[in-house]
Amino acid sequence: MSSIGPIRLPISLPRVERVERGRELAGVCSGIGEALDVDPTFVRLTFAFLAFASGAGVVAYLAAWALLPAPGCPTPRQSRRIGGIVLLVWAAILALRGVGLSDSLVWPLALLAAGIVLTSAAGRFGERATVVRVCGLLLVVAGIVVYVTRNAGGASRSLLSPGAVAVALLAILVPWAWRLAREREAEHAERIRTQERADLAARVHDSVLQTLTLIQKDPADARRLARRQERELRAWLYPDRTSPPEGTLAGAVEAAAAEIEELHGVRVELVSTGDAALDERGQALVLAAREAMANAARHSGVDEVSVFLDAGDGTIALYVRDRGAGFDPEAVAADRRGLAESIRGRMERVGGTARIASVPGEGTEVELELKSP
Amino acid sequence: MSVPLRRIVLVDDHDLFRAGVRAELGPTVEIVGEAGTVADAVPLIKDLDPDVVLLDVHLPDGGGHAVIVQVAPERPAVKFLALSVSDAAEDVIGVIRAGARGYVTKAISGAELTDAIHRVANGDAVFSPRLAGFVLDAFREGDGKGSDPELDQLTGREREVLQLIARGYRYKEIAARLHISARTVESHVSAVLRKLQLSSRHELTRWAAERRLI
Repeated sequence: MSSIGPIRLPISLPRVERVERGRELAGVCSGIGEALDVDPTFVRLTFAFLAFASGAGVVAYLAAWALLPAPGCPTPRQSRRIGGIVLLVWAAILALRGVGLSDSLVWPLALLAAGIVLTSAAGRFGERATVVRVCGLLLVVAGIVVYVTRNAGGASRSLLSPGAVAVALLAILVPWAWRLAREREAEHAERIRTQERADLAARVHDSVLQTLTLIQKDPADARRLARRQERELRAWLYPDRTSPPEGTLAGAVEAAAAEIEELHGVRVELVSTGDAALDERGQALVLAAREAMANAARHSGVDEVSVFLDAGDGTIALYVRDRGAGFDPEAVAADRRGLAESIRGRMERVGGTARIASVPGEGTEVELELKSP
Repeated sequence: MSVPLRRIVLVDDHDLFRAGVRAELGPTVEIVGEAGTVADAVPLIKDLDPDVVLLDVHLPDGGGHAVIVQVAPERPAVKFLALSVSDAAEDVIGVIRAGARGYVTKAISGAELTDAIHRVANGDAVFSPRLAGFVLDAFREGDGKGSDPELDQLTGREREVLQLIARGYRYKEIAARLHISARTVESHVSAVLRKLQLSSRHELTRWAAERRLI
């Protein structure tokens, strides 16, 4: 299952291939030159120069030959890549020694580097990740131990070793912790996404699809059903705005408006600013408002009613307006209980007022007001 | 009184809705271009230089405010009227603060929309009852004062006008009720729009910040 992918570097490098055209040996130098857009002669000279550093150039050339894909071929086999990497590390060690670093520094560095690479790449080894990580850590520790024992002079032991250990630990732990955090984050985000998708699917199924089915059965009812659906979806999509908390005045007015829409198939355009606790007087106001909305829905002859609740700063005002038939307030029969009892009577019993303005042909507005006691 | 023909561009990602608007708009409005994304809309508007852009608040690759922000500096004469199904205050306030001259909901009738387009084209502001409600909430007295009292508070008259808009009154009815001219109503609404766009009251700033407009 596990396979080592090419070591990913944090910067993007041009893809390098060995080439047929203009090659001298294996096409390594021409390939690198082509990818970097420099004369291959410079690349060859570099390798030749490195060859003087304890032969590092020769080993590096072999490493590049093993690692770079042959012309037109995909990435080389895994065993070959591992060989190439070993050669590359060998070349690096040779080069470091070649420029004069002592063995007591080069070998610990090599061990450290190998350990860090293994630890940070451990995630790619699947099930064996833990084993690889432990191996990497062991290599790092080995590197530190070698360094300390080889440089067992007084000064280096007391000063450099703790520093070296701290740096090594940071170098291992930081990428590891970072990766872990990223993985957890991605996992968490994915879980939330899945849940949201399921939630959405359930919502669409329970509401929208049902409504569409009902509309197909009985198109006459389409308007009322569509409006109900719209209201439900809005409450779900914009919960903070469209659904004032239960038990408040604005919440109760909204519930009443929804009921009227449902009962009479009209559209109640509700706007509210401010809110108040729903006390006994507020309940009376809501009932009066509901009656006013029902009147508008029944008698106005239009299908839209505007309601505005202004519950700011003590006084509560509520307006129910339609642009329908209207009536002559003087001519209303005394026995029309709706206006007289349900609206005016209710408001007056809790110390509020109700004004009704209507002009035939222009519509009606009912204005309810509760001053703070 | 002859009404000038207004050239408009319609920006909305729903084909059905665009078709509906096309069918309902009156003869005094000519749709010269349509777009469904921010990327299409910006060059189209710059190219056609219409009187009014009817702009959906939600677009797949950004939003109405992204269009305004990219077009307005180069075409200051183009007016934007936001059109949305959204009830969320931050959407509405966000697009207004980006520079739209008004906001109406998609439930608006064809005749009212035609009227709103002409009003915006004339440099006036168009407030739906819902927008008026949001503004009254945002400028509620006593809380969240900003740094400039002139910009951060509504005058008594402006408040009255907004309350009547929230109650469902039209400008003419408001004028009659307050015994002022329709022109004066317009100027009150324009003043409110200006405060809405420039005020630093923290409710407005918060809404704008949530939409990453500032």
